[in-house]
Order: sequence, then C-alpha cells, then structure tokens
Amino acid sequence: MNISRLAWRNIIYNPLNTILSILLMTFGVGVISLLLLLNNQIDKQLQDNLRGIDMVIGAKGSPLQLILSSIYHIDNPTGNISYKEVEKLTKNTMVDQTIPLSYGDSYNGFRIVGTTQEYIDLYDADLSKGVLWDKSMQVVIGSTVADITNLSIGDMFCGTHGFGDDGHVHDHHHYEVVGILKQSNTTIDKLIITDTKSVWDVHNTHDHHTCEDHDHHDHHHADENHNEDIYNSEKFMITSMLVRFKSPVAFIQMPRKVNETTNLQAAMPVLEINRLTSLLGFGVQTVNLIALIIIIVSGLSIFFSLYNSLKNRRYELALIRVHGATKLQLIKLVFLEGLTISTLGTIFGLMTSRLILFSTSFMVNQQQMLNSIEYILITDELWLFSISLFIGLIASLIPAIITSKINIPKVLSNA
Amino acid sequence: MLKTESINFTYDGLSKFNFPDIQLNNADSLLVLGDSGVGKTTFIQILAGLLKPKSGQIHLDSVNYNELSLKEMDQFRGRRIGMIFQNPHFVRNLNIFDNLLLSLYLSKNIQDEKRVTQLLNELGLGNKLDSMPDDLSQGEQQRASIALSVIKQPDLILADEPTSSLDDVNCQRIIKLLKEQAEKNKSKLIIITHDNRIKTQFNKSITL
Repeated sequence: MNISRLAWRNIIYNPLNTILSILLMTFGVGVISLLLLLNNQIDKQLQDNLRGIDMVIGAKGSPLQLILSSIYHIDNPTGNISYKEVEKLTKNTMVDQTIPLSYGDSYNGFRIVGTTQEYIDLYDADLSKGVLWDKSMQVVIGSTVADITNLSIGDMFCGTHGFGDDGHVHDHHHYEVVGILKQSNTTIDKLIITDTKSVWDVHNTHDHHTCEDHDHHDHHHADENHNEDIYNSEKFMITSMLVRFKSPVAFIQMPRKVNETTNLQAAMPVLEINRLTSLLGFGVQTVNLIALIIIIVSGLSIFFSLYNSLKNRRYELALIRVHGATKLQLIKLVFLEGLTISTLGTIFGLMTSRLILFSTSFMVNQQQMLNSIEYILITDELWLFSISLFIGLIASLIPAIITSKINIPKVLSNA
Repeated sequence: MLKTESINFTYDGLSKFNFPDIQLNNADSLLVLGDSGVGKTTFIQILAGLLKPKSGQIHLDSVNYNELSLKEMDQFRGRRIGMIFQNPHFVRNLNIFDNLLLSLYLSKNIQDEKRVTQLLNELGLGNKLDSMPDDLSQGEQQRASIALSVIKQPDLILADEPTSSLDDVNCQRIIKLLKEQAEKNKSKLIIITHDNRIKTQFNKSITL
C-alpha cells in the first residue's frame, strides 16, 4: 500500500465523478486533437502538392480556382489559353521550368490531364508497372485510379467530356493504358496522365473508330503529321501552365507582367493557399476555442469533485496525518488524483480523435487519407497535452492547499 | 516511560486548563475521567503531540516533545503513538486489510501481511479482511480501529472515549482487547472516558 495506490483507489471508488471528469476531458481534447490532425493533414496535402510551383498561368477568373484546378485538381478550369501566348511570356531568363496542362475530360470521375513527362518528374512519381507514354493516346494512371477502375496495362477506355458522369463520351477516341504509377500520396495518384497531344487530338480531330469497338487494335492514334507541330500552332490551346522561377525577382515581376499586359491570369500558389488556410483557420480557431472551454470545464469538474470529496474526507485526511503521513504525502495524494484523471482524459481524447479519423477514412475508402494519419503525437498535440495536464494541475492546486492546511486537532475534536 | 510535568493549555487565552502530572511505565494503563468540557480531549491531543501545551514537559521514553520540530513530531507520532477515537474513522475507499497496510506504510513499518491477518484474527475480524469500513457494525468498526492503531506496535496508545457509543457487550470486549493488545506490545495505555461501565476495570485513574 502506498500513496499512489491510495490515489488510484480513491479514483475508482468514485466512479461517477471520475467518469464525468474523464469524459469531459476526453471530449475536449478529442475535438481539438481531431481538428489539429485534420488541419495537419490538409496542410501536408496542400504543401506536398505544391512541388515548388511558383506560379500558375491560366485564363482570367478566380486565382484560387486556378490554383485548386491546376495543382490540386479539385475545381473546374478557368478556361483555355493560347499556348503560344504563354510561351512568349515564359521564354524568360527568370523562368526555370514550365509544364503545360490540358484537362477537361475524365474517366469514371478521374481527370485526364494532358501534359509533358516533366509533370511526372515533378511529383517524383515512379512507375510500378509498364512504361511512360511515347505517343499520343497512351496514358499512365495513378495508383488510386488503378485501384478503383481496375484498369491495367493494355486496357483501352474512352474519356468523358467534363468531370461528371453525365458528360458527352468521346467515343471516337480510345486511350490505352501503358503505365501505372506507384502510390505517392499526392494528387497525381488520382490522375490519368497523358501527352498534351492526346487531349488536342480528342478535341480537334475526327477518326472513325468507336469506343465499343474493343477488338480493334490496329487503329492509329491520330494523324501524327497533323500534330507534329502542335506547339507551334497558333490554334493550340492549353488549360494552364505551371511555372517555376529561377530568380526571386520573378515573384514580383512575373505576375504583374502577366496580369497587367495580357488577357491571362497569373496566380501564386503560396499566396492562394495561405489565403485559403487562413479562411479555414478562422473556423478551426472557433471550434478550438469551444473545445478549450470544454477542457476548462473538465478542469472545473475535476476541481469540484476533488474539493467535494476532500470535504467529505476531512476526517480521513486528518486520520492519515495522525498515522504519520506528512503534509507532502497528502499533497501528493491530491495531485495524483487530479493528474491521473486529466491524464487519462487526455490520452483517451488523443486516442478517440485517431479512432474517428481512422474509421471515417476507412468507411469512405480514402486510402490516401488512411495512409497519412499520424498515429504518434503531432507537435501541436504536445501543446494540447501540456495544456490539459496544466489544467489538471491547477484544478488540484486549491484542494491540495486546503489539504495541507488541515487543522488536525480541530477536525478530530469536531468529529 | 511516559512522564508529564505541569502541562497547561489555553485556547486563545480564554479558558485555561491545568493538567495533573502523570507517570506511566510500559504496559501500564491509566484511566482519565472527567465531565464534558474539562479538557479531556485537549489532554489526549497534547499527549499525542497534536496540540502544543502553553508550558510544561512531556517525555515519552527518551524523547522530549519540546525538542521535536512539527515535522519530527508528525513522524514520531506516526511511528510511536496509536490513537483510537470515539467514532472510528477509516480510509473509506480501502478495505480493512488495506487500511492496516496503509497504517504500516505511513508509519514506515514493513507491510507484513501475515501480521495484519493475525491481528485481525485476534480481534475477531478474521472474516472481515476484505470488507469496506462502512459495511462493518459499530462494534466491528471499533475493533478495527484498535487494530489500526496497534498494528504498528506503538509505545503509547491513546483512546478517546472508545466505548461511549457501544452496547455493554461490545464495551467489555473492546476494553478487554485494548488491555490485551497493550500488554502484548508493552504499550502504555491511556483511556479517556466518562463511561462508568469501565471504571472498575482499571486500578489506576485520575480525574480532571
């Protein structure tokens, strides 16, 4: 028998108070932790997909929309732009790299993106099967696409115009899967990637093969002569252009140049993402505040239950002192009770948030989300842990002081 | 040996208590009698070192209370003095067995479970080891509180009205057990009481 065991007995022999305090703590910590984890995950996803892209050029419209559609592929494109015109702007010593993106079609909800192979390199994506495309109408698919559509090497499919299921089917054009990418936990996992020419071909040429014609293997993808020089064609349109800068001066000069001298729009991903997260941040902060209040209420509940039980146990505590317990041992007893409850509540809270995250991502089959759940504490949660323990400490402080000041002869003679 | 010399005490200088000198050898017992309000409980708390007398000396064996700091007095009491109260109190969330172990722990004695079981058997509580204090009858509670104070084999046992809330049968049993335990441990036993039922059973008594 010792003080810690006595503290534990006191906790479990008072189950109603203990459960209330622990539940409140679990709830408060759980909500904050869940938000922190989600925030962390969103931040990580946003940052992971930036890949050093400094600027996106696209058609005029909302800059946030341009960023969301070109980098994260979660919004509609702002419109088409002339490749020639963008190229003129980006043939500049300040520009390090440009990658054109053409999109607008999808297959089973997955976007078909026409680009160059540099785009694959941008995401450090490796092939798990097959090869990269070497001609028009060949595609490489992301790991999620492969998992869900069951497409494999050699399969043919037709794109749908737009991103919904009810768009016009381009049934004269088959794409052929030539490669499948390894999972990278980036946006590329959910893309069907092909050469820029493919998208151009689908929208600008007509050939006579139908999508239903699956046995037909000798079809020629497109009129290669016709497309040989699409990059020089005045009519060649793309959706947007990802740009990486060579010099920091470009951050100031390039967007202004694009926005002021042309019909195009330049958007800076970092700026837009900061704007987006600060908007989200406001909501997160409000919920955090509410959860913090719950934690404080839980601290109060710990305080009341300790205070009450001490009032009932005044004689008991005096008795313990008479048996030889020092003041310090009594203080230790009270703190152990308060801190055990707040620690248990905090740990349960941190576990609950992970459990919720795990089960929801499992239920909605979000493999990518499932893989990126942080099972160990993230930095912000260390703070959360300290704050909850601190609140438990404060809640125990006054009862501990009262306990240490207990007047033994008076308590004993009033019994 | 317990020896007191001209102890007096006052609460806020209002009522003043002068206590008679007492001297008690090992295994001796003493009955302290007196009506309500004459300071019986004050006397026992002074002997326990819980209250500091205004003047006077108390020696328990070789130790002079006046030479101990508050903390030393707490530890000294824990180890050497057993107290029994009119209304027995326990640590409510521990069973009787664990209450006794806690008493041993706090008085820095070895937590000898065999001895605890043996003592509870002697006091007729052998089948109540796992009982919670609130589940015991009043007589059982008082016996358990004797166990609580004698388990650490104290030099001095102080009992404050141990029988006043008990019926005749339990009263006699408690006194018998107290005397037995005090003799066994060579403890000095002081019982404060106004209970006439036990006056005849002690040959040494003083009246306040």
